[in-house]
Amino acid sequence: MIWQQLQSLAGSYPLALRGLGMTVMLSAISLVLGTLLGFGLGILRTGGNRLISAVIGAWVDLIRGTPFLVQIFLIFFILPEFGIELDAFTAGIIALTNLAACFICEIVAAGIRSVPTGQVEAALASGLSRWQRMRQVVLPQAMRIVLPPLVGQYVLLIKDSSVVSAIGLTDLTRVGWLVVQRVPNGLLVFFLVGVGYFIVCYPLIMLARRLERRMGAAHGEVQL
Amino acid sequence: MTNATKTGMIDFRGVNKWFGSLNVLKDITLSVEPREVVVVCGPSGSGKSTLIRCINGLEAIKDGDLVVDGQRLGDPATNMTQLRTEIGFVFQSFNLYPHKTALENVTLAPIHVRKIPRAEAEQAGRDLLAKVGLADKINAYPSQLSGGQQQRVAIARCLGMRPKIMLFDEPTSALDPEMISEVLDVMVAVAEEGMTMMVVTHEMGFARKVAQRVVFMDAGAIVESGTPEEFFSAPKTDRSRAFLSKILRH
Repeated sequence: MIWQQLQSLAGSYPLALRGLGMTVMLSAISLVLGTLLGFGLGILRTGGNRLISAVIGAWVDLIRGTPFLVQIFLIFFILPEFGIELDAFTAGIIALTNLAACFICEIVAAGIRSVPTGQVEAALASGLSRWQRMRQVVLPQAMRIVLPPLVGQYVLLIKDSSVVSAIGLTDLTRVGWLVVQRVPNGLLVFFLVGVGYFIVCYPLIMLARRLERRMGAAHGEVQL
Repeated sequence: MTNATKTGMIDFRGVNKWFGSLNVLKDITLSVEPREVVVVCGPSGSGKSTLIRCINGLEAIKDGDLVVDGQRLGDPATNMTQLRTEIGFVFQSFNLYPHKTALENVTLAPIHVRKIPRAEAEQAGRDLLAKVGLADKINAYPSQLSGGQQQRVAIARCLGMRPKIMLFDEPTSALDPEMISEVLDVMVAVAEEGMTMMVVTHEMGFARKVAQRVVFMDAGAIVESGTPEEFFSAPKTDRSRAFLSKILRH
């Protein structure tokens, strides 16, 4: 019987590849956008404007304090009530990008705050503009603190992407649900789904570990 | 901005500053002429660091006038970033950029702020590091340098901007005793080239050698001001006598 199931599973591999592709694409797009947005928010969060900082802080707390599934439902099912129709893929990208940006914002803000004030004062005193101070002095030093948890966060976000199967996107997790209807062996099917996620995440886990080890050796800046 | 009355390079007129309810600068009036070297001393907490940090706007003044190089601080017409390029500031804790080499520390602002071509800035940076005795350390990172070497790089970093004014905030206080003189020697050389300098320090040998004036502060106010000769041999107030007896004892 297990042999039959395996054969049937092997026949599902195009679907599985599609699911894996969807998971990778969704994650990659959201992580790139979320990283850009997260760095921007993190820089603004520490930028000295109290109002902007408070608004970003409140939004980050809201997103971090509510389940991702609820956020996806709100974007996909509730926004259309207000006339904003989104296809599932766009809704998934928006939800995941927003989630990524919020977590990354806090990681980046913590990194920026870890740079000693003397560094900013030295940059100020030599006449560097706000952007030059950030780009040349603060961010390179903040990256030391930021990189290991950032890569760790990517792993968490890739796994969180499985939640988008709830709005009908055929990602790896949803492929699992589809296949298990034909091959009634949940343990086997979802074991393979897990392996799929692990293959995507493991290189990142290794990278995070490597970065953490290199922190001590670098002169305040991390060369990848 | 032009000023009707004649001004020095740095002009404090009735400057006050508070940290909360603490009056850290009390009615400061002080003028520093171009090419003048002024040493500021006083017990810790007397406001001397705050005084020089106000000059490049690292601290904001509460009231009074502070005019630096003809520009009034706090005036909307004053471009603070621009003014800071004319003022070198040497910190007690060096504050070199740890992720940049000695040469990169020196060339960063010339390249990005002054827009000097990289090759030219690097040549100037090498010359400056040679001048402070660190020709062999241009590619060293700050963590590979001793405190005295780091402070000399920090001075070279300021000189790289060709400033009109140099401010020193206890530049030798964080150094081991055997490294103090190498930094003071560089400061003497800078002073002898005619730089306008304000130096917060207790190095009285340095004051005697190059300062035209010593300003003694206590509790946020300027208590006494005079030539090093007058100040050291005949301090006028009890507070300065008490201070001098403490720092000159050893």
